[in-house]
This record gives sequence, structure tokens and C-alpha cells, in this order.
Amino acid sequence: MTTKETATDVLTLDDAAWEQVVQATGGAAAPCYQCGVCTASCPWGLVKDEPISVRKLMHSAQLGVDGWGDALWLCTTCGLCEERCPRGVPITDVIRSLRSVAWRQRNEPAELRTLLWGTYWDGNPWGRPPSQRNQWASDLELPRFSAEDEVLYYVGCTASYDRRMQKNARALVALFREAGVRFGTLGDDEPCCGESVTSVGNREYAQEIIDSTAQLFEEVGAATVVTTSPHCYEMFARRYPNLSDRFKPLHYTQYVAQLIDEGRLSFEHEMPMRVTYHDPCYLGRHSGVYDEPRRILEAIPGIELVEMDHNRAEALCCGGGGGRMWTETPAGERFADLRAIEAAETKAEALVTACSSCISCLDDSLKTSGMEMPVFDVAEVAAMALNAKPAEAEPVGAPA
Amino acid sequence: MTESLYGPDQAQGIWVYLEQQGGQLEGVSLELLAMARELADETSAELTGVLLGDDVEALANDAVAHGADRVLLGQDPELAQYRTEPYARVVTALVAEHKPDIFLLGATPDGRDLAGRLAVRLRTGLTADCTNLALEDDSRLLLGEVTGFGGGILATIKCEQHRPQMATVRPGVFTTGAPDESRKADIQRVNVILLAEDDRVEVLERVTEEGADLTRSKVIIAGGRGTRGDFSLLEELAELLGGDVGATRVAVDEGWIGRDRQIGQTGFATRPDLAILCGISGAMHFTVGVEKAETVIAINSDPEAEIFEHADYGVADDLFQVLKPLVDQIKQAQAR
Amino acid sequence: MSGTNHRDLRIICCVKVVPRPEEVSVDQDTMTIDRANARSIINPPDMNLLEMALQLKDQHGGEVILLSMGPPLFDEYLRVGLSLGADSAYLLSDRAFGGADTLATSYTLAQGIRRIRDERGCDLVLCGEESSDGATAQVPPGIAEWLDMPQVTYAGELSLVDGHLHAVREVKGGHEVLKAPLPAVVSVRVGVNEPRFIDFERKAWAENEAPVTVWAADDLDLDTEAIGLTGSPTSVSGLGQARSVERRREVIEGTPEEEARALFEQLQTFLRVRA
Ligand SMILES: Cc1cc2nc3c(=O)[nH]c(=O)nc-3n(C[C@H](O)[C@H](O)[C@H](O)COP(=O)(O)OP(=O)(O)OC[C@H]3O[C@@H](n4cnc5c(N)ncnc54)[C@H](O)[C@@H]3O)c2cc1C
Ligand SMILES: Cc1cc2nc3c(=O)[nH]c(=O)nc-3n(C[C@H](O)[C@H](O)[C@H](O)COP(=O)(O)OP(=O)(O)OC[C@H]3O[C@@H](n4cnc5c(N)ncnc54)[C@H](O)[C@@H]3O)c2cc1C
Ligand code: SF4
Ligand code: SF4
Repeated sequence: MTTKETATDVLTLDDAAWEQVVQATGGAAAPCYQCGVCTASCPWGLVKDEPISVRKLMHSAQLGVDGWGDALWLCTTCGLCEERCPRGVPITDVIRSLRSVAWRQRNEPAELRTLLWGTYWDGNPWGRPPSQRNQWASDLELPRFSAEDEVLYYVGCTASYDRRMQKNARALVALFREAGVRFGTLGDDEPCCGESVTSVGNREYAQEIIDSTAQLFEEVGAATVVTTSPHCYEMFARRYPNLSDRFKPLHYTQYVAQLIDEGRLSFEHEMPMRVTYHDPCYLGRHSGVYDEPRRILEAIPGIELVEMDHNRAEALCCGGGGGRMWTETPAGERFADLRAIEAAETKAEALVTACSSCISCLDDSLKTSGMEMPVFDVAEVAAMALNAKPAEAEPVGAPA
Repeated sequence: MTESLYGPDQAQGIWVYLEQQGGQLEGVSLELLAMARELADETSAELTGVLLGDDVEALANDAVAHGADRVLLGQDPELAQYRTEPYARVVTALVAEHKPDIFLLGATPDGRDLAGRLAVRLRTGLTADCTNLALEDDSRLLLGEVTGFGGGILATIKCEQHRPQMATVRPGVFTTGAPDESRKADIQRVNVILLAEDDRVEVLERVTEEGADLTRSKVIIAGGRGTRGDFSLLEELAELLGGDVGATRVAVDEGWIGRDRQIGQTGFATRPDLAILCGISGAMHFTVGVEKAETVIAINSDPEAEIFEHADYGVADDLFQVLKPLVDQIKQAQAR
Repeated sequence: MSGTNHRDLRIICCVKVVPRPEEVSVDQDTMTIDRANARSIINPPDMNLLEMALQLKDQHGGEVILLSMGPPLFDEYLRVGLSLGADSAYLLSDRAFGGADTLATSYTLAQGIRRIRDERGCDLVLCGEESSDGATAQVPPGIAEWLDMPQVTYAGELSLVDGHLHAVREVKGGHEVLKAPLPAVVSVRVGVNEPRFIDFERKAWAENEAPVTVWAADDLDLDTEAIGLTGSPTSVSGLGQARSVERRREVIEGTPEEEARALFEQLQTFLRVRA
């Protein structure tokens, strides 16, 4: 092993690491010209005295050096830096790649291993029993997907097991049924999409999951795959092979907006509610889906949508992506605390979003800051609107 | 078949291993004495306590007051602290000499450590971590009730041909009887003969007054935001039940309790026999930390709270109004 | 850690494969445990012992050898252990081993360890704290007795100092630090570490090439009377479903006093727990 002096603040170069880093990032950081916009954009700078130096991470990727410290694992992969980078550096992919090198060097944070083992043994990163995956729907008599169905509804791990998020899935089923969508699920056999493993950067394992889930999709003849979570959607849309000409992953907000456009779903009754919408990073910045969730909300008579200061591509991350749901973020350093304040400033009655991580983090922060603002999923709001009777227009659970 | 040192025809009497620490008999040893007293009366057998240590004579009297007909007392400086091999040496010699029919030990870390070693040395059967004991109708064989598969399955285990019939018993499943100081019994000092090879393992240090380790707690009383920072009743209840206080992340963030008490995804995964959850809504990030609990009780003023889906028993009421009379009742019961 | 001359540490890891507890049920007619439809996993506490062994190997070098007793299907799971960093594996598999209680199980494993020790050496035998099915925690002390080795149960930390084992062992309300000569048998506390994930550079080797030696009863120096059902002094005389994996979700209602009383009734068994 040889070491060379370099002129950077990172002092040593080691050939083995160089090879690993360069191979893993595939030169993706090459266009970076070290302007530092990314560092300045990163929300960690808002909550920590010392922002994480994204620029230095990119530099180390260019140079092929390792030794990134905690900064590498703080990144929520929110993509805000990437959005603003003048050189179009795929920063979050570079970060995932650096993480993959760290896994190989066994430098990963120990708590992230539980997520991988959970996925390995139980088929979901939460480590919940696989035989209970479909329990949330035990009273719904959901049909098993067959190739003739319009839609394969991919529920996802979190909506399957987290009781709070099961409500989103149930709401979505109600919307499908209202619109007469012929859909099915894979029940207990639904596999993990591999998003959490991907985002924490264990590339080899992620690839195994992708291969086997893709194979299953192929076997069952999946064409239109509608997901509850933007994270699963981003996986299917960007990281899965194109399974067939018919393979078409959609986030449910896209699909529901389409149902509204086609006249298959409409909201008859007034549901007066002032809401603000939080763009999940994986739906917005990573997938460019900004309009559809807003269109759904606006299709509901009575809903008044007000925007937060930062919205769409500039939206502030909830802090839950990139594996951060498995690692503790000390109170005072949670992005969602800041987002909760922005939401409160809109004087909305409810905060609406379309991602389970956002719901967890925002709900937690709103409560902790003593703000009485409920957090709903877009699907929940839409399902409430279906049930809203002309007589009692109050939405369920919203403050009087 | 591997044969034990002696068979059923030679075996007689019921033995209880008396575990002691810090000048006191373990609670489970007293519970076992009470239970074994009933078995002994049922079969007209003699109840013997086996007590090893250094300078622990006073404890022999406690054992008598709690029902022993005889105490075999082995004292030696080498026995001052529990160590597997010296203890196993002495107990094996006693068993070989007196040939007990039944031999019960508490399922504490030391009790299980010793029992596991002894059973093989004696070439006999050992029933693990019993939650109940009984005698079979005609045979009068010891039946040990055990759980397996994470508490999902109950099995009854017996040992027909080998003696002694050994079992470790989970602390807390039997009630300690009231001591009867007037009881008289035979306290027999026994010879302690150790071999050089028993001295292989050395205790460098032993610390027994440590703070709670929630991952090992058998009883956890956890509080969330609903406590509004007042953990006093929870602490009292924990004290009464011999348990520890835990909390949600919210309670920790609020500074109501230390981070070493956080349960959940980014806190500790616990496996208590009992968890009482007070003023906790039931977010998945919390509930993953209590899903391995054997019994869960939830108290939450919101009847719609998710936590009730994760509970065996749910009380939809104000936690303070429920805990206060509960604590009072337990105190009354324990005063009796 | 320094100060050891243990360059060639041989660690034998006893690993059990267990059915997923929530997928097991009791067949009330035949009074047997129905695990036919249950998927298997590596006994979760055994993942902690593997991590412990691999950390020792990282520090001191040497070999990590897996040992299991069970049906041929265990092979696949041993290969998971090999992909984490273990070097070789032995599977004791024979119908004659079936139905073993802890006396017979620990005997059979001990005889396996003897043969490995004779052929390759053995400095340390690591076990898990307890299995998630039988959950007796009796196999580790049993193995130690059969092999006449010192034992340390419920160990949280292990280190090697001047050829001796230093172990932090859990005791009621605290811990003790023990010093034991090698070879010794240690059971590792569940949850003491976060087991490392699969090393993908080893995976193909582990799945296809790694040595998993299968030994049947004939391959070991065994007293055939001491193995399997025959060698087991205990027997099961009754089986029942204790509780379903589901929570009961019973609601207690009334005035706060009535609710407290009802809870008090539920707490009866726990009230006896007094330090
Ligand atoms: C990345 C991440 C990691 C997390 N990790 C953890 C973790 O490890 N552990 C954890 O606990 N949380 C964790 N959380 C937070 C978790 O999501 C929840 O926000 C938290 O568990 C809620 O705590 P709580 O139940 O105390 O508070 P709340 O959700 O506010 O619930 C309080 C409950 O108390 C009830 N209540 C109020 N007054 C009374 C009364 N007088 N009597 C009875 N009941 C009353 C209310 O009805 C309510 O249900 C994490 C969150 C994130 C985003
Ligand atoms: C519900 C139930 C209750 C039981 N109760 C008793 C009882 O009271 N007394 C009794 O003698 N038997 C009992 N048994 C039988 C007992 O489970 C078996 O003998 C089993 O082979 C070993 O015991 P264990 O699973 O309890 O292991 P434990 O002693 O709990 O296991 C501790 C460690 O020993 C090692 N180990 C254990 N088994 C193996 C193996 N097959 N291969 C490799 N390593 C292993 C592992 O490292 C494991 O982590 C019971 C079985 C069941 C299903
Ligand atoms: S913003 Fe883009 S170009 Fe500028 S330092 Fe960051 S990655 Fe490099
Ligand atoms: S993706 Fe978000 S959290 Fe990560 S470095 Fe960029 S701005 Fe920071």
C-alpha cells in the first residue's frame, strides 16, 4: 500500500480506497468544480453549528479518498443540494456510492445493520413478521393481483406494518374502489422494493433485492404498479430495469390524479378545510411530481391549499430519508421542527403530505412543539372527502 | 440410556437451592421454599434447603422460617462469591450422598448457570424456567410447565427414570409465604471439599448495584407525553413490582427522564414479562421496542389510541386517576 | 487489544436454526408442535455470538468454525454464517440425533467439538444465550461439563489477555468480571452487539464452495445410548398453545377505581416479584 501527499485537506491517498471509491462513484463527481453551493444549501446547516461539508464529500469522491466521518451518514438524501448544484452533480447518488464503499470497509453505523437484517430475514426493514404483512387488510378482502388487473397495488413495507400508515393504504383502497379500479395486491408475498437498503448504500444487497423483486413482478405480469410510498415509486421508476413495455410504476398521487382527469373519481361534497402541502423529497425533487398531489387536493370542493414559504423544488426535507429513520437525531437537530414552524405559519388546519416518513417526522415535531396541527396523507384527505356528507362537512380528526 | 447416579427407588426428599447475595436470600429461593413446602406436605417428604457461601449462617434460619425442614449449610471463604465449579462440586457431593428426589433452583442467571452444569454432571433431566410446578396424579412425578417459541407454546415436561428431577423456576411465579420464626429445624454444616481444578475461573470484580438495563428488565413501566413529565406514580409502581421505568422519545426529549430509558426504534428493544404503558400513543417507532413483551397493559385517555392495538389489556382513562388507586391497592396487599 | 500471543485462535461457534416463533402452532389432536409451515431463521441470539467471534478474529486472527446439530436444511443457514466471515462449518446431522433434550444435545455437540478440537484445535466455544424455541439456556453449561471446560454464561464483553479470557458476565443487578483459562465455553448475551451484515465478497464462496462438513452419528465417537430421544431423560407430557401471537386487546372499563381493581387482578402474578 502506498500513500501520496496531496494538496487537499484530506491528507493521504491509499490505492485500494482510491480504486473502490472511483469504481463505486463511476466518476459521477467529476463535473464538480467545488463551488460550495451544496454545502450552503444543506439543511444540516440550519440545525447544526457546523453544516456537513457536501463539497468536501464530492471532492473526496473525485480524489478517491475515504475517511468521511459522520457527515456521510447524516445526509438524508433530500436532494436539495443536487437541485441547486450548477454542475448537475448527482450528489445523492455519489453519497450512496461512498456509503457503499464504507459498507465494504465495515465503517457503517452499527444501527443500520438491523435494517438490513430485518429485510434479509423478514422481508421488511422494520423486522416485522412476514406472515403479518397483509394483516392490515384482513377485513378488506383485497383480491390477489392477476395479470388482467388494471393495477398492481404495491403497498410497501411501512404502510403494511405501521398502524398509522395503514390508514393511508386503507384510504387508497377506498379511492380505488370508488373509482372502480380493478386492482390486486401480492398479499403476504409482497417483497420489499429495497429502498432503505439502497439509500443506506449497501449496493450489492440492494441489487439482489431489485433482481428478485423485479423477477417476481415479471412473473405476475405487473404492468401499472401503483405505490403508496414515493420511495418505492422512485425505486421502481429509476432503479429497476424496464421489465416490459407495459411496466409503468406510478406513485398513487399520479394515478389518483389520472382517475380524476378521466372522470372516474370525483368529489361531490364540500369539505371546507385549509391545508398546506409538504412535498416529500422522493416525490418532488427526486421524481418531479409536484402538481398531481396538489391537483387532487384542489379537486375537493372546500379545500383551500396554502403554500409554505419553501415549496416544490425548494421544499425542506422532513429528515427521514437516507436511513435516518433508523438512526437517532437529537432533539434540536430535526429538520421537521423547522418544517413544522413553516406549516404553522400558514395558519392551515392540517398539514398534508404523501409519504410515511414525512408523516412520522412532521407529526412528531408538530406535537413536540405543542402545535395542534394534524398531519394527513393526501389519500386520507381524498377518502375523507368521499365520505364527507353535505350535512356534516367537518373532516374527521381535524380541529373544530 | 445414560444413567443418573441413582434411580427413583433410592431417591427421597425435596431440595431447594438457596441463592444468596449481599447477605440476603434471593426472592425466588423464598418463593421456592413456599411452593416446595406444599409439595412436601402433599407427599410427606422432607424439605431441604441447600445453602452455600461464606458467613451465611443467619440465612439458614430464614430458610427454616420459610419452611425448610433441614438446611445443608456449606461455608468456606472459597464460596463467598458464586462460581460455577466450586458450587457444582459441593452440590454434587451432597446430592450423591443424600439422593434427593426433586431439586429446584431459581431461574436467575446464577441459578441457570449452576443447574445447567449440575444436570449434566448428575446425568439427569432438567426442566428449564418453569412457570408452574405440579405432581402427576398417580406417579407423583414432578411436572414442570414451561413456555417456548417466544411464549407462544406451553409444554409440560417430566423426568421419569433419572434422579433428581431437576427444575429451574422463574422468579415471581410463586408467592413467598409469611415467615414463621418459631419453626425449628436441623441446620447441618457440611464439609466443603474443593479440588484445585475447581479454581480455574477467577472473579476479578463483582458489581451488583447498577442502574437499570432496560433490555434485561422483567417489568417495565413506561411513560409518554401523557405523563406531562410527572413520572412519580410510574416510579412508585415500578418499585412495587420490582421493575424499571422506561419512556418514549418524546418524554426523553422533554428532559423528563434520561436517554438510557428510551424504548423503541432508536432506543432499546426490550423483552419484559410485563410492560405497563402510560400516556403513550403507540407510534410504531415506539411499539417495536415492546413487541417482545409477554404481557402489555396500556393506559391512555384516548379510547381511539393506537396503543390499545398493541396491548393485552387496555384502560381508556386518565393515567393518574388509574395509577393512584392501583399503587394504593398494591401497597395494601403487600402490607398484609 | 494487545498482550496476547494467541496468533492462531480457533473459535467454535454453536449455531442453531429455529422456526419463526409466530409461525409455529400446536396440533391439538396429535399433541405435537406443528412447524411444517414455519420458515426458519438463525436463532437470533446466535447472531450475537457470531459477531463476537468475528470481532475476536478481527483482533487476534485465527479461525471461526461453525457447528450445528440439526437436519440437512441447516446447511443453507450455516452458509449465511460463512458469508459473514466464518471459515468453515460442521453440521451434525443424523436421524438418531432427533428428539434430544438438553442433556443429549449438549453431549452430541460436545462430541462434535472434541473431534474438531482433535483435528483443528479449539480455544473457545461460543454459544448463544438461549434459543428462541426451547429457550432453556442449558446447552452451553452442558457442553462445558461434558468437555470439562470452564464456563462463562451471559457474557457481554470478551477479551483475551495473556492467553486468558476476560469476560464481563451479567449477574442479578449488575455484572462481574471473570478470568478463565482457555479453552472455555461462553454463552453470549443476546443483543450485546449489532451483528455485521453479509460480506458480499465472501458470498459466492460461502454459498458454493465453502466447506460444510456433515457428520452423522457414525462419524463421531458416541455412546449411542446418550444421543437423541434415547439419551434424553426428560419427556414432554403435555403441550398447549399459551397465547396467540396476537395481543389480546381486552378492554377494561369502569370508574378509575374499578379499572385499577381489574388491573390489580391482572397483576397478581407480578405482585409476587419482590427484590
Ligand atoms: C426517526 C424517528 C425515530 C424515533 N424513534 C423513537 C423511539 O425510539 N422511541 C419512541 O418512543 N419514539 C420514537 N420516535 C417518535 C415516535 O414517532 C412518536 O412520536 C413517539 O413515540 C410519541 O411519544 P408519546 O406516545 O409519548 O407521545 P404522543 O404521541 O403525544 O402520545 C401521548 C399520548 O398520551 C395520551 N394522554 C395524554 N394525557 C393523558 C392522561 N392524562 N392519561 C392517559 N393518557 C394520556 C394521549 O391520548 C396520547 O395518546 C421516533 C420518531 C422518528 C421520526
Ligand atoms: C417448548 C420447549 C421446551 C423445552 N424444554 C426443555 C427442558 O425443560 N429441558 C430440556 O432438557 N429440554 C427441553 N426442550 C428441548 C430442547 O429445546 C432441545 O434439547 C434443544 O435441542 C436444545 O435446547 P435449547 O433449544 O433450549 O437450547 P439453549 O440451551 O437455549 O441454547 C443455547 C445455545 O446453545 C447452542 N445450541 C443449542 N442447540 C443447538 C444445536 N442444535 N446446534 C448448535 N448449537 C445449539 C446455541 O448456541 C444456542 O444459542 C424443550 C423444547 C421445547 C420446544
Ligand atoms: S454544488 Fe455541485 S459543483 Fe458546487 S461543490 Fe457542490 S457538487 Fe460541486
Ligand atoms: S441530499 Fe440533502 S441532506 Fe444530503 S447533503 Fe444534500 S442537502 Fe444535505
